[in-house]
Formats: sequence, structure tokens, C-alpha cells
Amino acid sequence: MGLAYEFDWGVLWRQPYGLWLLKGVGLTVIIGLSSWFIALALGIFIGTLRVTSYRILRFIGTFYVEVLRNIPLLVQMFFWFYAGPMLFGEHLGRKINHINELNIYVAILCLGLYTASRVAEHVRAGFASIHRDQYQAALSTGMTQMQMYRYVIIPYALRLIIPPLTTEFLTIFKNTSIAMTIGVAELTFQSYRIDAETFHGLEATTGAMIIYFFLGMAVVKFMGLLEKRFKIPGLVGR
Amino acid sequence: MIEIKKLNKWFGDFHVLKDINETIERGKTVVICGPSGSGKSTLLRCINGLEPYQEGELIVDGTSLNDPKVNLYKLRQKIGMVFQRFELYPHMTAIQNITLAPTKVLKWSKKKAEAKAMELLERVGIPEKAHAYPANLSGGQQQRVAIARALAMEPDYMMFDEPTSALDPEMIKEVLDVMIDLAKGGMTMLCVTHEMGFAREVADEIIFMDEGRIVERGTYEEFFNNPKTERARAFLDQILE
Amino acid sequence: MFDAVARNFWFLMGGLGVTFQLSVFAVSGGILLGMLVGLARLSKRGWIYHPITAYVNFLRNIPLILVIFWFYFVMPILMGQAIDPFPSAVISFIVFEATYFGEIFRAGYQTISKDLINAAYSTGMTYWQTARYISIPIAFRRMLPSLITQSIVTFQDTSLAFVIGLQELVRRVSIVDNLEVRSIQLYGFAALVYLVVCLVGSRISRHFEEKGRKANIL
Repeated sequence: MGLAYEFDWGVLWRQPYGLWLLKGVGLTVIIGLSSWFIALALGIFIGTLRVTSYRILRFIGTFYVEVLRNIPLLVQMFFWFYAGPMLFGEHLGRKINHINELNIYVAILCLGLYTASRVAEHVRAGFASIHRDQYQAALSTGMTQMQMYRYVIIPYALRLIIPPLTTEFLTIFKNTSIAMTIGVAELTFQSYRIDAETFHGLEATTGAMIIYFFLGMAVVKFMGLLEKRFKIPGLVGR
Repeated sequence: MIEIKKLNKWFGDFHVLKDINETIERGKTVVICGPSGSGKSTLLRCINGLEPYQEGELIVDGTSLNDPKVNLYKLRQKIGMVFQRFELYPHMTAIQNITLAPTKVLKWSKKKAEAKAMELLERVGIPEKAHAYPANLSGGQQQRVAIARALAMEPDYMMFDEPTSALDPEMIKEVLDVMIDLAKGGMTMLCVTHEMGFAREVADEIIFMDEGRIVERGTYEEFFNNPKTERARAFLDQILE
Repeated sequence: MFDAVARNFWFLMGGLGVTFQLSVFAVSGGILLGMLVGLARLSKRGWIYHPITAYVNFLRNIPLILVIFWFYFVMPILMGQAIDPFPSAVISFIVFEATYFGEIFRAGYQTISKDLINAAYSTGMTYWQTARYISIPIAFRRMLPSLITQSIVTFQDTSLAFVIGLQELVRRVSIVDNLEVRSIQLYGFAALVYLVVCLVGSRISRHFEEKGRKANIL
């Protein structure tokens, strides 16, 4: 075929490139997990807001979800990173801009907020698929709405939505790559950096792809185990 | 005339039709009954080639379905079929449902097809619903449109697969009335149904199937008053509950 | 309040134009390729099913940014010369989004009940006549809301072409921001533009979903 290109797969493990990739994976995992916790906690809260009987709470929940879902993650990240500090006024803003590793914190926060909007939707769908009678049974024993949600409905709904949550968990790891645009040295950034140094971007990005693939499989495996452990007997599943 | 000779069919390992033998002459109305899973629906679908069979022979008006060159499309023009869940095309109005096959398969002009469709809608009692969508029709009305759709192809035979099972009780009568009317008019009909009132009125023969076999056959009186087999008796006890 | 935006309005709108252009190519190509992918995933022939399934499963685990980079690196090697970011981005998006459109098509084809098809056959219609007048129109109406939703997602994804230098909306906003440093206005503006387009899009999708549900097609 006569491609005027010499493949150099060694970039994947030669030092310092191998180390770069490793650090990148580490950061990807850390950012992914941290934002996932934020996303879960916030998402469950907002999803619950959307089904309460108070119109104002429902409105807040819907507003949050609609705004965050319809703006690309990239734009949100840029907004929080560049415009965010300024929201605190000139003085505080300048101080914030000097924080080391600001970009990592912003990435975690932004990714957490964004994914929370998606988790909220799944949570809401989970609530909707629970029969009304379940709610009424809990209330009839004298529980308040909040108690009902906390002890009965939320645990039930969470088990129901493990499959769509798996998708979101996968997506969050993929979305960590967007943090590279604000300079976070995660996996995708590192593969791009290797290209900048060696001009062997093809090998580097192919290697990164394979790493992401295995990361994804690990997530699916983990969530599958979770699903088995928390399986509700008798409920129609797969 | 439809001849069924030693018909055997398997779904994988499951032997669903076992040695079926039967002849259906022109002008006759045959009712097939039996517990669910006995293969009644499958038998109907073998007759018009919707389901293949592995052993035996099916001959419709002299054409054998065993012949590899058999033209199933031509065959299906001669046999109309009505389904349990009506299966009207949801994206078309009643009249469009009826005229689709005549215009595309028989190549009739739109005028001719619509005239025929209106005639049939009159016959089944709902000409005013010609331009309604299935979603706006009751179950009984939908099934009557389905019957009109099948009749539009001017078939020699009509097969009904539990046509009233999915209907609310109030609507069963309107559909059965259409079917009785058809039978009395001389149509050759093969009906899978539990509606014994219908059978008493027009059936020339009742076939009882169980677990893939024809267990008993006879006229209505014979079957009802004098069931010969244990299984037929058990079945009758159940449906007369 | 939006003075920086006003000053650079036409420059920014040009970026929106590029975004739309890229989206149109990505969505059309993605849908076309997706139709084939969906069909392939329903095929009983192993030599079609397995490779396509592997491709879909692989791509769904990988970030879009990486795919954009990968094509940007691969294309010059294959073609022996440097490549413009726009065509490279178009190809990356088509290949990537086809996996999602493919799943929509696959699910759509499967919703046509067997008896509905049998009903058509029983009136003497052929396979192709049934497909043309019954299966495809109904499947399409059912898939329309999801197709619109996925198109909106693709529209948002085009912002990522930023990373290979494509002069779409976000890149132009960041260029202006470098000059004017009015980040709140500028990124706020970008956010607003996307918000409006996507809200309109999902309203349209919901309209078709309602229509389909009323007609009992859904």
C-alpha cells in the first residue's frame, strides 16, 4: 500500500510516555469516581424533587434538569472554568483562579452536576414505574412523605434503575475526556500530548481507545455484580 | 376444496400438529375448538402458507403447497384471514386499510377499490366510519373493518382466528352477526372460536383439537350432546361454566 | 450587558452556521449508516452480525473526543496528505453516531408485531409490498421521537470538534473570550444558544410522540 508512515507502537510503553498514560488513567478514574458520587447523591435528590407534591419543588427540579441536559458538557465546563470564578466578584474571583489544580476541581464539579441531571431523570422514571399502591401502603402505616421516600421508595427505585445507571456510569468515564479542554491531564489529554511530542498520535490514541474499552468492561462487570447482589426476587428482569 | 393430509408440524422439538387429516368442502362452515395451545391457530396459518410444515400435504383447489413452485401470494388472494387482535394498519383509515391490497396486488383502480370498500363497509354495518383511524374505532368496529379488508380480495375461503376473543362482551354480537351473515351467504369458512352460539347457528362441522391432534369431529348436536371422548367432555364442561 | 456578544455577533453567528452544517452532515450520514447498522444487527447471518456488533460495542465505550482525534490522525496517513478539520470531523461523527442511530433502528424494526405483517401477507401482498406500505411507515413513525432526540444529542456533540480546531460556535466564543475576557457573557451566550435550539428540538420530538401515542401507533 506504500503508506509513508512508520508505526511506532513503542510509544505506548516507552518512558516517559508509558508513565504519562498511566497517570492519565489514574486521573480519569479519580475524576470519574468523584463526580459519580456527586452525581448519584444530587441526582437522587433532584429526581425526588420532581415527584413531590409541591409545585415549587417540582419546578426547581425540572428547571435544573432541562437546563443542564440541553447545554453541551463542553460549554458547561468552559463556563464554570472561565466564567465561574468571576461570578464571585473581582477579588474572590482572582483568588480562586490561583488555586492549584483548579481545573481538576472544576471538572469534578461540572461533571457531577451534569450527570446528576441525567441520574435525576432515571430516578424519576424509576419512581414512575412503582405502583401507586406501594406509596399508599407506606403512607397508610403513618409514615411522612419524606420517610416513605427514604425507607421504601428510593431503595426500591434504585434497584430498578441499575441498568440505566450502568449506562450513566460508563458515560461519566467517557466524559472525563472533555476535561482535557481545560487542561486536565487525564487519559485523552496524555495521548494527545504524546502526539505533540512524537507525532505518533495514531498509536497513542489507539492505545487510549483500548484502555477506555477495558475500563468500560470493568464498569459493566461491576454493575452486573451489584445488580445480582441487590436483585429483587420475583421481579421480571432480563 | 381444502384437503389436509397427514399434516405434521414441529416448532423446533415441539410437535405442534400431529397427523391432521381433514377435508373442507366449498360452502361449508367448519368450527375448530379446543384448549389453548392445541395448535388451532397454527393449523390456520399453515393453510395459507404463513407457517411452513414439515410432513404431509395441503391442497387448496387442486394446488398442493408441497409444490416448490407454488405461488403463495396467489394462494393468499383466495383465502382471507381475520385475526384475534384485528391487526388493522394503524397509520391508515378504515377505507385505506380495505383498499390497500386490491390496489397494490390486484391492481384495481382507486375508484373501483373505493366503491368495493364502501359496499363492504355497508355490509358490515359501519359505512360512516370509512375515514376514521383504527385508534378512533371500538374493538368491534375494528374487527368488522378487518373482515371487510379480508373480503375485499374476493376470496373463496375465509379463516377466522378467535375473532371475538379480544372483544368486550357487548361487541361480540355485532361481529358474530357479520360472520353468521357471511356463512349463510355461502362463504366457505374455517373458524377457530369458542362461541358455541355461533357454531350452533351455522356450523356444518365441529372439530375438536387437543395437543395437536383432531380428537373428535361431528355436527353440533353430535358434539354437544354426545361427546365421544373424555377430553371433549372435559372441555365442554369447562366452557359451559 | 451582552456588549461583547453584540460586538462580535456576526463572527459568533458564523460559528453557529458551521455547527449547523456539521450537524446536518453528521445526522444525515449517521441516519443512513445507522439504518444499515440496525439491519445488520438483526441479521441471522453471522458474518454480518458479529463484526457490526463488535464495532457498535467497541465504539460505545470510547469517548467521542478520542474518536475525533483518532480520525484526525488516521486520515492524513491513509490519504497521504493533510486534511481539513471539517471533513475529518464529519467522518468521525458519522461513524460514531451511527452506533446510536443503529440501535434506534434496530429497536424500531422489532416493534412491528408478526401478526400485523401476517395480516398484510394474508391479503396477498408480497414481502416488499408489505415492507413498503406497512412495516417501514409504521416503524418510522415510532422511531421519529428517538431519532429527533438523538439528532439533538449529535447537535450538542458537534461542540467537541473544537479540539481539532474547527471554527464552530464554541471555538469562536473562546477566541473572542481571549480578546475581550468577558467570559460570563460569552459562555453564557453559547449556553443560551444551545439551550434554545435543544429545547425547541425536544418540544418537536414530544409533539411527534404525542401524535403517535394518540394514533395508537406507539
